[in-house]
Amino acid sequence: MYKVLKATFITIWSLFVLFPIMWAITTSFKPEAAVVNGATFIPWLEFQPVLTGWKAILPGPDSLTNLLTPTLNSFIVTAGATAISVAFGSLAAYGLSRFTYGWKKYSNADIIFFFVSQRIMPPVVLAIPFFLVLKQLRLLDTHLGLILVLTSGLMPIVVWLMVDFFNALPREIDEMAMLEGCNPIQAFFRTILPLSKPGLTVAGMFCVIFGWNDIFFALTLTATKVLTLPVAVIALNGTVTPYWILAASTVFSIIPLVGLAFVIERFLSRGSLGGAVR
Amino acid sequence: MKKGYPRFFLLPGLILLIAIIIFPLLFTIRVTFSSWNVSQSGLNFIGGENWSEMARDVRYWGSLLRLFYLSFLTVAIQYVLGFAIALFAWKGIAARRFFRVLWLIPMMTTPSLMAIIWRSIFTEDIGALNGLLNRVGLDPVNWLTESGPANFAITIAEVWQWTPFMFLILLAGLLSLPKEPFMAAAIDGASAWKTFARVTFPMMAPISIGAIMIRLIDASKIFDSVFTLTRGGPGNATETPAAYIFQRSLQDFQIAYGSTLALTYLILAILTLTIIGKVFARLSKPKGI
Amino acid sequence: MFTKKVKSLLAVGLPVVLAASVVVIAPASAGGKVTRTQGQEVSYASYGAEYANVATTKDGDDSCSWYNTSKKDYSGKTLRVLTHAIPNMGKPTALHAKQFEDLTGAKVEVEHVSFGDLYAKQLRSYQTDTNQYDVVFNGSYQIGDFQQYYAKVPDSITKGNGSLATLTPLYKALYKWDGDTKLVGIDGDRHFLKYRTDVYENAEAKAFYKKKTGKDLAFPKTWKEYNLHAKTFNGYKPAGQPAGVKFTGTTEITQKGGLMFGAFIDRVAPYAKNPNVKGGFWFDENMVPQVNNPGFVAGLTDFVDATKYMPVGGKNFDLSKEIESFGRGDSLLSYTWDDAWSKSNEPTSPIKNKVKAAPLPGAEKVWNRVTKKWDTPKGGINYAPYIAWGWSSAVTAASPQKQMAFDYLCFWGNQANHKLDLTIGDMGVNPARTEDFKSDFWVKEMNWGKPAVDSWLATMQNYEKNTNRVFDLRVPGVSDYMTALENAVAKALAGQATPQKALDEAAKEWNAITKRVGITKVKSAYQNVIALEDNIK
Repeated sequence: MYKVLKATFITIWSLFVLFPIMWAITTSFKPEAAVVNGATFIPWLEFQPVLTGWKAILPGPDSLTNLLTPTLNSFIVTAGATAISVAFGSLAAYGLSRFTYGWKKYSNADIIFFFVSQRIMPPVVLAIPFFLVLKQLRLLDTHLGLILVLTSGLMPIVVWLMVDFFNALPREIDEMAMLEGCNPIQAFFRTILPLSKPGLTVAGMFCVIFGWNDIFFALTLTATKVLTLPVAVIALNGTVTPYWILAASTVFSIIPLVGLAFVIERFLSRGSLGGAVR
Repeated sequence: MKKGYPRFFLLPGLILLIAIIIFPLLFTIRVTFSSWNVSQSGLNFIGGENWSEMARDVRYWGSLLRLFYLSFLTVAIQYVLGFAIALFAWKGIAARRFFRVLWLIPMMTTPSLMAIIWRSIFTEDIGALNGLLNRVGLDPVNWLTESGPANFAITIAEVWQWTPFMFLILLAGLLSLPKEPFMAAAIDGASAWKTFARVTFPMMAPISIGAIMIRLIDASKIFDSVFTLTRGGPGNATETPAAYIFQRSLQDFQIAYGSTLALTYLILAILTLTIIGKVFARLSKPKGI
Repeated sequence: MFTKKVKSLLAVGLPVVLAASVVVIAPASAGGKVTRTQGQEVSYASYGAEYANVATTKDGDDSCSWYNTSKKDYSGKTLRVLTHAIPNMGKPTALHAKQFEDLTGAKVEVEHVSFGDLYAKQLRSYQTDTNQYDVVFNGSYQIGDFQQYYAKVPDSITKGNGSLATLTPLYKALYKWDGDTKLVGIDGDRHFLKYRTDVYENAEAKAFYKKKTGKDLAFPKTWKEYNLHAKTFNGYKPAGQPAGVKFTGTTEITQKGGLMFGAFIDRVAPYAKNPNVKGGFWFDENMVPQVNNPGFVAGLTDFVDATKYMPVGGKNFDLSKEIESFGRGDSLLSYTWDDAWSKSNEPTSPIKNKVKAAPLPGAEKVWNRVTKKWDTPKGGINYAPYIAWGWSSAVTAASPQKQMAFDYLCFWGNQANHKLDLTIGDMGVNPARTEDFKSDFWVKEMNWGKPAVDSWLATMQNYEKNTNRVFDLRVPGVSDYMTALENAVAKALAGQATPQKALDEAAKEWNAITKRVGITKVKSAYQNVIALEDNIK
């Protein structure tokens, strides 16, 4: 009985997870007529698959847009913001895990909450102030400008994850290193950091996912030079919604990240991810 | 320990973060006392007009109430489902590595783009769902133009997108649990359900709290699915603060008023999360291991 | 261990390789300038496969023709353009940018964004003195928000040999502010009625209507008739109905945030725009909003009633869905912009040659805001067509490249380009010039049916002559006013408030907006709208 229930649940959940993806994939091969005249599902039977949607987004004579340059931009911005967030965030997290900071009645927990609270603000109201800052720094429509702004949303995730992770690493490890003559900085880099790879990887992956998927800041703070992938895709949404093109670009834009799912699974299977959240 | 070392760790990150957000934050506070709008830019001073207008803004307070329902409900569903599939992927099913990858995929998709796909699924005339209902001879459902189904559609899109987040964190937590308590339970002859209730669940409490808190923060900003699927409609039946603030700040370009709403939202969110955090801490402590 | 490394390498490396290949594949922009001769044939064919089947035409003799543009040299200079998403406006902007680059040696950077972002991005740029753009596109109803940031359009474009010289008087007036032309009118728009001739010109359907209502069937002259027809034929099976498509009464824009305010204005205008009352349709002389007067309420009541005869999902249609729905044959009637009309005339359209155009319906009574009474219109019906906004473009006042910017826009809409763009439906370029209103062009070159074309051109001529027209509320904060209106209408359509109560709320909101923007600012801007409404030259 339990087994049947479990199998049913797993099947239903997997179908649910797959359904929008399959729908997006089939839609990306549909001709316009198979979209706007009512839902169609089965290729060849209900519609003749065509490459219209894909040709529109890939280089070639029918290309409506070039998604490859935006892919490069997305990659640079995501990598940059992830690197900065992980570097600074994990240092701060280590500090918050090992030392007691105090300022008046504020404790470590409050500092952690301060980091995390940076994610609360709806980004839309920050459009003008961030715009002004970047304008003043001459960083509008640059990779660096977008990277810095994204960092403010990503570092909180790193701090939140890594504090727990470092808490789970026995203190004896750093104490041992310091007994051998390291100062805390050396102890961190020589002994803790090598042990933290799984944690850093997970934190970095969250950063990659959230950074890659940001659309609002990219839309607000960049123009033609640092066009990112989601922004380029949204710009295809003209007066008449071309679902077949949008579906193709959606599938296109998730391919690089699905690769990540495999990497994450790797870490899970080796059991080395666990510490990341404890 | 020598002084200075602790600072070396915390300060670079803290200073960088503060450097990035200090101006936007101060600016946002200052702008709420101005009348920056479509025809008046710059920081004039009009006193507390925006604040008193907000106090009377029924639409805003309505959207906040709606948010309580939407965020708590979606996060609760995500947690329960995420925990369930994490347990399955933890041990006891065949081909679990395949399922782990499969179940992670939704999180990898861009929410703003997936929202468009969801719209093409829920849209009432040419959408996939009504298409399927039609095949089996059922009447179409007004997914986006009736309050109940519209809220359902948004919940579905949110659950799909973010359950994997819960799943990943909870699964990682499960994988890192020490083995001894389980062996002890097995020796006592505890049933699967008892083992879960007495061992697994309590040990997972700290991770659960962290995951729920961070999801609550993000879920409260729920925007993409609302904006793309219903634009807050029918009427105002699905309008959330983020969608309303978006409309005020960006579509109507009421920078000052939008900032007032957002700042209030920030304060309320911090208060609410602090309370929830305290409640969680109290609930999880006595049961702790 | 090895496989893991390979996999993570792939995950990281693949995008890099992909991206790097872009740099290699991306075509270097053409270096040399193209030379042209006078009157040389203009063809888009070399600009992509999608233009392979577009007709060619002789180069015009206007000042911005291909030939005249090719004599200019802007080598080494860059133009920054903000335009709409592809294809509507985005497609012609990008195409003409490439052509302009080829002809003048200039570099044109084009940024495509959604309609909402088009507004926010340029306003943000102006309000912070960032000066990000030389050329911008917008909806012409936003002129009140933007005119102070725009450069005056030189006479060389609007008069004599310029590409905008042949705009009809109606559209010339539309692009002016305080007497100066501020917008480059590359497009002309209006709302009109579209009706299915396989019902209205079908004997069986006429008999059916006679039996049901006791009246003779002809396209609706009033909104009451419109709703009655929608009701009567909801679920009917017309002779030419595409297979598998359920027939309903009406397809309209009903989604807030989806340009629904346009549909609402269409429906209320004849009830509320009284030809005998001058000095303001949207506000009275004291800036009291009129949006909750009985005329507006009557129009909204009709609108709510019509939701019963809409296709599945019809209560959540934006403009895009309206085009799609009417275009596939969902309904008997529709109105608003040209797009659904163009769609129904495309060669592949399932309802080709089954649609005609007519002026927007009128009303059998019209509210008089001065006497606070309903007037009976002369001739029994009050017509008040809404001359809805369309696309326009402008050069920013802060642009360091104004001459080049105007040359680009003038080239954009030169005679040859305009003629070809009209034939490409998804570009969003609609007729607005005297030479566009000849049925020959549409019948011969576009292969549209002559009866349909004639009904459409007659409708536009009708609007040129009508003196009781309604225009957008072209004042600062117009988006604010319209979203407040849409929010109220949406509530009424969803049954969350009665029309009167919803519009009362909107009026309250309008007062707040006027106060926020500044009553003097709004009032002085509104004089420009009154000038259009009351035909003040």
